[in-house]
Formats: sequence, C-alpha cells, structure tokens
Amino acid sequence: MIILQALVNGIVSGTLLAVPAIGFTAMFAVLRFPNFSVSGVATLGAFAGYLAYGAGLQMAGSLAAAFAVAGIAGLAFDKVAHLPLIKQGALPAAIASIATGLILENVVRLGFGNEPRGYDRPIARDVFIGDIRVSPQQVETMGLALLLMLLVFTALAFTRIGKAMRASADNPELAALKGIRPERIAMLASFVGMGLVGVGGMLLGLDSSIDPLTGTRILLSLFAAAVLGGLGSVPGAVLGAFLIGMAEELSVLVVGSQYRAAVGFVAILLVLTLRPRGLLGERAY
Amino acid sequence: MTTIRIGRRAALAAGVAALASPAVVRAQADPIKLATLTPLTGAGGPYGPVMAKAAASVVEEVNKAGGVLGRRVVLVSEDDQTNPEAAVRAARKLIDVDKVSAIMGTWASSVTTAVAPLCWESKTFLCTVSGADSITLLPHQGFLIRTQPNSKLQVTRVGEFILSLGAKKAFTMIPQTPFTQSTFDILNQVLPKGGCTHQSLIYDDKKTTYRTEVDQALRTSPDVILANGYTPDTVVLLKDLYRAGFKGKVLGFAYSINQKLVDQVGQPEVVEGVYTFAPSPAEGSSAFEKAKAASGSANPDPYTCQVYDHINLVLMAMANGKAATGEAIKENIRKATVSGGKIVDNAVDGIKEIMAGGKVDYAGASGPCDFDEKGDILDCKFRYDQIKAGKFTLVKIA
Amino acid sequence: MLSYLLFIATIGGIYGLLALSLNLIWGGVGMVNLGLAGFFAVGAYASALLTTIGHAPIPAGWLMALVAGGFAGLVVTLSTTRLREDYLAIVTLGFAEAVRLIASNEIWLTRGTDGISGIPGPWKRALGPDFNAVYFLIVVLALLVVFFLMRRIDRSPYGRALRAIREDAQVAQVAGKPVLRFKTEAFVLSAAIAGLAGALYGHFTSYIAPDMFLPLITVYIFLAVASGGTGRPAGALVGAYMVMTLLESSRFFVEWIPGVTAVQRAALKELLIAVALIVVLRLKPSGILPERMPPAPRPS
Repeated sequence: MIILQALVNGIVSGTLLAVPAIGFTAMFAVLRFPNFSVSGVATLGAFAGYLAYGAGLQMAGSLAAAFAVAGIAGLAFDKVAHLPLIKQGALPAAIASIATGLILENVVRLGFGNEPRGYDRPIARDVFIGDIRVSPQQVETMGLALLLMLLVFTALAFTRIGKAMRASADNPELAALKGIRPERIAMLASFVGMGLVGVGGMLLGLDSSIDPLTGTRILLSLFAAAVLGGLGSVPGAVLGAFLIGMAEELSVLVVGSQYRAAVGFVAILLVLTLRPRGLLGERAY
Repeated sequence: MTTIRIGRRAALAAGVAALASPAVVRAQADPIKLATLTPLTGAGGPYGPVMAKAAASVVEEVNKAGGVLGRRVVLVSEDDQTNPEAAVRAARKLIDVDKVSAIMGTWASSVTTAVAPLCWESKTFLCTVSGADSITLLPHQGFLIRTQPNSKLQVTRVGEFILSLGAKKAFTMIPQTPFTQSTFDILNQVLPKGGCTHQSLIYDDKKTTYRTEVDQALRTSPDVILANGYTPDTVVLLKDLYRAGFKGKVLGFAYSINQKLVDQVGQPEVVEGVYTFAPSPAEGSSAFEKAKAASGSANPDPYTCQVYDHINLVLMAMANGKAATGEAIKENIRKATVSGGKIVDNAVDGIKEIMAGGKVDYAGASGPCDFDEKGDILDCKFRYDQIKAGKFTLVKIA
Repeated sequence: MLSYLLFIATIGGIYGLLALSLNLIWGGVGMVNLGLAGFFAVGAYASALLTTIGHAPIPAGWLMALVAGGFAGLVVTLSTTRLREDYLAIVTLGFAEAVRLIASNEIWLTRGTDGISGIPGPWKRALGPDFNAVYFLIVVLALLVVFFLMRRIDRSPYGRALRAIREDAQVAQVAGKPVLRFKTEAFVLSAAIAGLAGALYGHFTSYIAPDMFLPLITVYIFLAVASGGTGRPAGALVGAYMVMTLLESSRFFVEWIPGVTAVQRAALKELLIAVALIVVLRLKPSGILPERMPPAPRPS
C-alpha cells in the first residue's frame, strides 16, 4: 500500500520536475551545451511568480510572469555570456553557465535575503481515493504542469516555428539550407527553455517554500531526468522526470530519505553505462 | 602597552574622566576589536544576519555611552557561510588581521569545531551557540563558552515533555545533523522508561515535499511526532502533516518553529496546537526586551538572544579585567554574573557599575549566564509553548 | 598579519594543486571535472581516517589520499569516458554530491556531520607557532613536485598526444592513439592530485566535515584555471593565487560598500566571483599565461 502511495507521490513530483526538464533538454537540443544556470533561473522564476502572485495576479498571470522573467534572463545570459563561448566548444559555455547561475542565485539573495518564503495559498487536507491520499492543490499544480506540457508538444508538433526548431535541432546545417535562421531558433530556444525552467521553479515552490537555493536543490534531479530520457529529447525528459520522481520517492522506503539526492546520480551512472544515449535517444522529438 | 599597567585607581579615574568628557574626545586610543562570525549564507542563512545585527546594535549603544576602558569598540562581522572551510579562512582573517579579542556567534557545530583550535591557539575568546556535546570537550583551555545547553540535556528534556503529553508511540523526523544520532540514542533511553515506544526517520532537508516520509511515519500510528529540523524544511513538513490529516500532537524546537514559520505557513490551522520547546527562556525579562530592540525583531530566536548575551558578557569581562585581550576575557567572563552584584541587563549599565568599582550580575536575554569550568551553561530552564490561533502561548517554564 | 598571510599562502597552494589537477584534464585533454570538490573530499577523508582511526603515519595518509582520489577518478571515468564531455560534466557534479551524502550519513566511517577533528599535523607540537611556516613549505614542496611533473607531461610526446585528443579525438583515434586509455589515465591522475590536495588541507586545519566540500570550491578552481590560462601549469598556479587574493581581498572592500546588510555583502562577494569568471572567459579566454605549443621534435 505504502509503495503505491509512494508511486503516486512520485508521479506528482515527477510531473512538476518534467516542466524544467523539458526546458533544459530543449535548450540542449538546439544550443548543444548543458546549461547549468537552470538552477539560478528556476529560483528567479519562483521569485518572479511569488512577486506577481503577491501583487494580486491570478495563478495564470503569475505563471506567465515567472515564464517571462526567467525567459528574458535566460536569453540575456545566453547572448552575453554563454553563446559567444560556444565557438570554443560546449565546455566553456557550460562553465560560464555555472557562473551565471551563481549570479542569479545571489541577485535573488541580494533582493530577498535567505529567509524562505511561501506563496499565500490555502492549504487543504488531502482527499482519499480508495486508500490513496491525494492533495487537491497538488492535483491542481499537476494539472497546470500537464497543460503547459501539452502546449509545448502542440507547439513543437504543429506550428511552423516548432517544426523549424525540431529541424534545427536534428540537423542545423540542413535546416539552415532550408532557410531557417539558426540565430532566431537559438534565441527562441533560450527564451522558451528558460521560461519553462522558471515556471518549473515556481510550480515546485507553490506547495512548499522558496529561497535562493530553490533551484540548486532540484538541479541534480533535473539533469538526471534529462539524461535518463536522452539529452535533447523532449519526450525523453518527460519520461525521465516521471521515472526520477518515482525512484526518488521509492528510495525513501528502500534506503531512507537521506540518500534521495543520490538517486539522480545513480540513475545517471546506470543509464550512461547501460544505455548511453538515454531511454529515448537524443533526437529532439 | 600602557593600558595594562594602569592601576585600578588610575583606571577608575580614566573611566570617570571618559564618562565626563564629551563623546568626541573619548575613544581616542586604538579601538577594541571584536567580531561576529555568523552564517549569512548557506543553511544557517536565516539565523545569522539577525544575530550579527543584535551584536552590532549593542556595540553602537556602548560606543554612544563612551565605549569600554575609554576605547571605542569596533565590531567586525564576517560570514562563515555555514561552511567550516570558509569559516576557517574568515576566522584567520579576524584573528591575524583585525586582531579581534573575541569571536562570537558561531552557529553550526562543524564551524565551531573548525574555528575553535585557531581561537585557543591564538588566545582569542570564542562564544558559540552550537549545541553538539563534543564542543566543550575540545581542549580549549578556557577560551570557549557556549550559551546553548548541550544536546544531551535538551533532548532529555524533550523526551520528558513528550512523556508528560501522555505519549505511547512517539516518532521523530529529523534531517542528518550532528545531533541526529544522539537525539535517537537519548530518546530511545528516556521514552521507554515512561512506557512510550520510539521510532524515527532521517529525512533529506533539501526536498520540496515530504509526502512519502509522512506516510512512512503515520504508518506506525504515532500519537506524538517530534519535528526536529530547521525552519525551511519544517515548514514543508508541517504542511504535509496537516495535509495528511495527522491528528496527534506535534512538537518542535522553537528555533525552527517560530513566528517566521507561522507567518510563512500563513494558515493558522496548519500549526494549531503545535508545541514548541526552547532552551532559552528569559522572555519577558528586561534583557529580552533589549535584545528585541537590538535585533529589530519582535520575536528574536534563542540564537539572537544568545549573541546579545555574548557581546554584553565579553564587554563587561573586558571592563572587569581592565584589558581588552582574549586572555582578559577568559579570566573575567564569569565575573559578569557575580551573585549579589548589581543586576543589569546590558553592557552600558554594567560597564558603568564596574568602572565605579561595583560588581554586576548580568541577567541575560537567554537566561542567567553562569558557566561551568568546561564552558557549558549551568542554567537549564526550558520554555514550552503551544501555538493557538497563530499565537505562541506559554505552557510552562521549567 | 604575517601568520594570516602564511595561512592564505598555504590554502592558496592547496588551491594551486587543485588548479593543476583541473588543468591537466581541462587544459590537457579537454575534459571537465565539476566534482573537484568531491575528489578533494575523498582524499581528505582517506588520509584523515587512516591517520586518526588507523594511527598510521602522516605520509602514509597522503599516499592513501593519492590512491583513493585516483580510484574514485577511475570509477567515475569507467562509465563516462567513452562519452562526451557534457555527460562527464553532469556525472562529476553528481559525484561530488554523492560524496557529501556518504560523508554525512555513514557515521560509522566518517563520523557524519560532526566531522573528524584532531587530525594530526606533522611535528605540530614541537613546532608550536612555527607550524604554519613549516606546513607552508611542505605545501610548496608538494606543489613543486606536481608542477614539474605536469610540465614534464606537458612537454612530452604523451602531452602532445593528450592535446591532439583535445583538439580532435576522432583524428587522434584514427592516428592510432588509444584515446580512451589516455583520457582515463589523465582523469585518474588528475583525481589523485585533487585527493592529495584534500589530504594536505585536512592535516593543515586539523578538522574536516562534509560541509567543507561544497560545489563553490569547484567554481573557485575553474576561475583560477580560466584566468591563469588553460593548458599551462604555470597559468593554473598563478590563477589559484589570483583567486585566493580576490577571495580574501573582497572581504576587505565589501566592508566599504555603504547601506548593505551582512547578507547582501555575502551575496555581493559570491556575485563578484561569478562575474569575474564570466569576464575572464569572455574577454581573455586564453588567460593571462596563454598556452604555448611546444614545437614537435624534428625527426633526426
């Protein structure tokens, strides 16, 4: 019974994790470097949403604020710090992104201090479905995350720009020949990818609390989700997020909660050893 | 160094002269340097800044009143980053460059253990709020006091309180800290004596939800849960306990379940009936009111009260010792609480009384500040509160 | 002041070792290690445990640190070297976190978050206050040995092979270089050096705890190598001391910024480090001591 409950809990947290994981993997697909500043951007998004929500905006408006602020920050940092370095290879860009993540974390600390803050949302008792406990709020948050994912998939599958993005991720040279402008695609990937990461930070903070380290706490789980599914694969990131979410909750029962943070690491090692390209391979879509 | 050789009468005269002369003229000599080394970032980040602020306000007051030994006091505030590596570098700078005579407010036990050897080797006095039992057992040669009761004493009291609640099945939820193992050991000893079983779980304090952990705890159908983390993770834990519909009693330490936590949870029924436990009483005392003002916080946590006491004790020790060295503080730290002395609640009054040749008995914000020879605090009053309608209401002080 | 400077110079030297370790793989082979703090911790714990619980002499502890660090490096590379550097970045980041978890939770071995205190320092009691000076010399000696080893590698055919892998692993492979073996060897050696640095650190401060090995140290070392110049051992060394100077001097000048709270000051300090890293990468990617390509020996 408790195992089933843990799996349900894992699906809930996996759904929330999937949003930033999609953002991260989509950026990787187009820009070809692991962007470590997702930790800082997730925190930034969480605080932007917090401010918007506190200012009286509804949930949708606050999520939009988190998306916009995080997206713009991501775009700006890619333009100024990361992409100019990509000519020298993925590594310098990745290293610079560690620094930009640190910058964002400390900008938030400069403005808000270290104290944890919570969204002013009513906390309701859980409801029981059979013997399984679910929280109405988490269902709501999960619904928002699912809606968002649906939006992303629709955009990638059916819009012109989405198709261009996939083409560019699969084969940049070929896409360029077809008249797809790579810089535009890159900018779009930065903005949307980091926007999703920002929203993810907010969704994860909604039911718990946020502080300057909010993003850092999910960094490893997020990477694990992306690598598990195959770096650069959007459906893979979703699958990976669910698996990591469930594995982390189950680990609480098996090895104890204190080793939860190692689950992501072990998952990465296993995947890289057994199936180096991830469960779904590295194709963008 | 002429100051050391000044006799008592001369010092007295100097003190009186200093008090008589306008503030500008005072504090001509080299300033006395003291330091706070509190966590401004990292896990202790929520606590350190207020601690540093409380100490800074005390120093400001003392300077306004003419300083100590006719010298101005400069307080250097460094960040230990809740990280012993950074703390060691910061402490070296404080000791070797600033040449402070005392370092106050080290919070994490690992930081205190890392910094303590530098202090006793350089004869710098160290005041800490860390509770790990091992700290006062270090070979510190008297250069260390702590205002926090050690964890053994605290947890024993917690266990007794759990029994007094009529518990039959207690469950402890705690992150991995230097206290975790000793908490388990002590509760496993204390609780069965009162006919109460005890089970426990270590959780990861970085998680954003504790649903599965709560499920695991509730499966044992406990009637009392001890939530033994810090504020950020305890917020999440209490919310998840409420969501899960836990009907039993919840108990936690007041350093984590405080007004900030209640505000942050935002919904009084989530924390309704939660008991809190604090090693440091003195609430309602005049020193506590002073600590409130000094920290600019309506509800200063025990650490802030303790740092308020550190700085006052250190300043009065220097006045008593007629010297501003770590050695002088070590020799005189226990002379600020002489029974029968004039009862004071701040260093300004205390220094005035000492300079006038009197004795003082400092009644601190965290309680009476008497220490045994190892540097552990003697007083062991504890305060128990219960949250009712979002307000902390006193259950008992014992 | 002198003892403070000695202290900083010693810690700077230990950072220098870490920088040499990173430089070997980053500058040398084009691999990355975001878990430097983890290997640093492995070495520190290995030596501390052997000399406190095991009562072994200090040099044995240092040797153990080299072995333990290298072994940890081998474990990490076995699953990742045949893959690209971006995966390695993620894996090493996770490795450091895993090390910290083990150090915090396996109390029977590591004493958990309490940390290990009373780690012996060489001749500490006999030396008294001179200990810092002597230890500084020991660190300098270690630094020199590693430095000249790096220089040897850098200028040897082996070093050229490593650089060839960095420039184009496929071409190197085609040219018959055992790319995988070379990469693994370089990473293991690098991890061993980081382990040695950890041991030197532990015996200097006499105390280690899991909180000491936070990812921020890795960022410092990256800043050191990037600013000093990747691909040149001397650059890494210079960089390490520059970072140490920046870290310690920022203490002094953030005090002068008016109207900020203590938390903000701390945040500004970390901001400064991060901005410095980006500025260096953007404006002077070759660092202040750019790599020199030694000419290939003429065929005789």
